[in-house]
Amino acid sequence: MNPAGSRLPLRQAAQLALDSTILLAIAGLLGGLVNTLRPEATRLPWVSDWDRHIETLAFRAGIPVTFLQGARQRVGDAATAILDARSEDEYAAGHLPRALSLPVAEADRRILDYAHRLTPDTPILVYCGGADCDDALELAKRLREFGFRDLTLYPGGLAEWRDYGGDVLAGAPP
Amino acid sequence: MIRARPLFIWLARIAVAAVFLGACIAKIRDPEAFALATHRYRLLPGELVNAVAILLPWLELTCGVALLAGPRRARAAAAFLLAGMLLVFTGAISLNLLRGIEASCGCFTTRADAAVSDGWNLLRNGALIWLSAMIFLNAWRAPARSKTS
Repeated sequence: MNPAGSRLPLRQAAQLALDSTILLAIAGLLGGLVNTLRPEATRLPWVSDWDRHIETLAFRAGIPVTFLQGARQRVGDAATAILDARSEDEYAAGHLPRALSLPVAEADRRILDYAHRLTPDTPILVYCGGADCDDALELAKRLREFGFRDLTLYPGGLAEWRDYGGDVLAGAPP
Repeated sequence: MIRARPLFIWLARIAVAAVFLGACIAKIRDPEAFALATHRYRLLPGELVNAVAILLPWLELTCGVALLAGPRRARAAAAFLLAGMLLVFTGAISLNLLRGIEASCGCFTTRADAAVSDGWNLLRNGALIWLSAMIFLNAWRAPARSKTS
C-alpha cells in the first residue's frame, strides 16, 4: 500500500473544489459588477416576478406555447386557423397573414361566425399584441371551454412578428 | 514528431473554449432575453431565473478563458465546471423535449427566431461533454503521471 499515493486523489479533489470555487467567485463578481454598471434600461433586477409572465400563466393553464419559428410554420400551414384576439380596430390596423378576427370580449357571440371553418380538432394559433397582453391567453382558455382541443398560444404576438420582418396585413375583418 | 494525445487535448481545449466564449456573448449583451430563454425551460423557480441569467454567461466566459489560457489546475476546474454545466443543460433540454415544450435552447442566441431545440442539441452537448471530460482527465492525471515517472 502506498499512503502517499492514496492521499493524492484526496488532495487533488480538495484542490479541484477550491479552484472551482475560485472560478465561480470570479464569474459571480464579474456578473454582479457588470450588471450593476449597466445603464438602467438594460440592467436586469436580481429577482423578477416571473409567476405573472404570460408564458407562466399559459403553462399553468395547460395551453401550449409556441415562438416565432412555430408561429411561422403555423401561418404557412393552411390547416391551422390563426385567431387574432384583439379588437376589430386593432385587427384592421395590422394582423398576421390568414388571421381571423375573434376579439376575446366578443368570443362567445362571434365564435359562431366561424362554426363552418373550425372543428374541435382544428389546430388553432391564438395571438394578440405581444408579450404584455393577455387577450390571446384568455381567448385560448375560452376556446378550450367551447371544446377546441388543439390550441397554441403565440405570446410574442404581432409585435414580435413585425419586429422580425413578418408580413403584416391591414384591413377590416370580412 | 508531434505526439497525438497532447495535440488532441490542445485542440479540444480550443474547441470547447471557443464554443463557450461564443455562447456567452449574446447572453451578456442581452441579459433580459437570456432570462426569458432560461424561464422557458420551466425548471427554475422564478426567483432564481434572473440570478442565473446574470451569472451563467460570466461563468461560461471565465471557464472558457481558464480553459484556453489558464494553468493546469485552472484548466481542470474549468473543464470540470463546463462538463457539469453541459450535463445540466442536456438534462434540461431532454426534459423539455420529453414534455413537448417548444423552446429554443438559448445556447448561442437569444433572438426570438432561434431554432427550437431538438436531438441535434443533445448530440452536440454529448460531444462537448466528452471533450470536456478528456480535458479534465488529462489535467487531473498530470500530477500523478509526474509522481510516477
